[in-house]
Amino acid sequence: MAKRSAVLEVTQESLGGLGVIAPIPIHVQTPTFSGSLAALFHCVRERKIDLRDVPLFPVCQTYFEYLLTLPNANLEEAAAALAALAYLIERKAWSLLPLPVPEPEPYEEELAALGDLPSYDLEEAIETLQRWERERERSFFRTAEPTVNAYEVPYELDAITLADIARAFEQVLARSKPEPLQPLGRPRLSLAEVMKLLLSRLPIEPTTLLDIVPEDVSKADAVFWFLAILELVRLGQISILRDEDQLLFGRATRA
Amino acid sequence: MSSGTLVDQLEALLFVTESPATLESLASALRVTMGQVEQGLELLEQRLSERGAIRLIKIAGGYQLCTKEEYAVAVADFLQPQRRTLSRALMEVLAVIVYRQPITIAEIDATRGIASEYGVRSLVERRLIREVGRRPTPGRPVLYGTTQQFLHHFKLNDLKELPPVEIKAKDAE
Repeated sequence: MAKRSAVLEVTQESLGGLGVIAPIPIHVQTPTFSGSLAALFHCVRERKIDLRDVPLFPVCQTYFEYLLTLPNANLEEAAAALAALAYLIERKAWSLLPLPVPEPEPYEEELAALGDLPSYDLEEAIETLQRWERERERSFFRTAEPTVNAYEVPYELDAITLADIARAFEQVLARSKPEPLQPLGRPRLSLAEVMKLLLSRLPIEPTTLLDIVPEDVSKADAVFWFLAILELVRLGQISILRDEDQLLFGRATRA
Repeated sequence: MSSGTLVDQLEALLFVTESPATLESLASALRVTMGQVEQGLELLEQRLSERGAIRLIKIAGGYQLCTKEEYAVAVADFLQPQRRTLSRALMEVLAVIVYRQPITIAEIDATRGIASEYGVRSLVERRLIREVGRRPTPGRPVLYGTTQQFLHHFKLNDLKELPPVEIKAKDAE
């Protein structure tokens, strides 16, 4: 057992700099640490010393001796010392517990179980597959899917520029509100759902973007609505017309 | 039913089909035996090879009509299809899966020596591979295998047509 010796010092100036009651200045002396209880507490909290090397029995003994020998001691100081002592004991108890062995991730476990895998010489096979792929591209089959590049479907915007569309969108953004705080969050509509909604509320007569996009949408939702409009323009479902200084969006009529 | 009629009927069925038609499905539709269908397909193949721009091929376990290669440029110019050839990295992932299926992502990683999750995801999106089950080991990892689309993509009728590969000697690595 460690050498037990402690010197009790009591001062009247026990209020710490931060207004917190400082623990009583118990001087602790152990084979591995010599200093005040407050200093030990500080060193442990800052991980400057390993508490497993410091026996806490003499520290506790010193504390109880203090309580017994000085019955008129400041109760708040004593309580602060008890809190510091409780912290040290708890930390030491945790540090003495065996560390749980981390369970290997299923993936790592699987990798470890694989051992040495046979290594195949795939170079030739890859070259053959690439050659077959090139040859296959020279044969065309009937297909239900459109083979033309979906992103090259022609659509007519006449003299309307991207800047014109951007200005129309800026008006919507200026009107929309910041994203409301929603602790639980609300599932956002998918782009496809917004496109469907948009088509359903698109009036027969071309109208402004401000009329199409709901007034109460947030800025983020406004961006989503705008993307849906652009997508519908690309797909030829919405046409854009210029009316003096503003753009009108309407259902596209097929020729 | 005369064989001429059967050949014409087979041609009509294959003309409208959008995926390889199996012998069974053709025989069932025409209410003939699979042997008769096979004979009819041979005649059709011969007839198409002699004239016209269409030919009959055996692909992905079935039969399908496609354009002859000499018309590839004209058809490509007309359709302007999106080229979706696989990158070298994707081809490597695919080759590992093709030759070692069913296989898990961990096994693919171990074989290639680098992470392959993105490649596997891309190949799933392209429908060239799919989940074929789960390995009964901790974590129950997903097993991947090739699809009919894979056979179609490389104009293969069967996985047996793949070129054989050799196992590398350990000291050769």
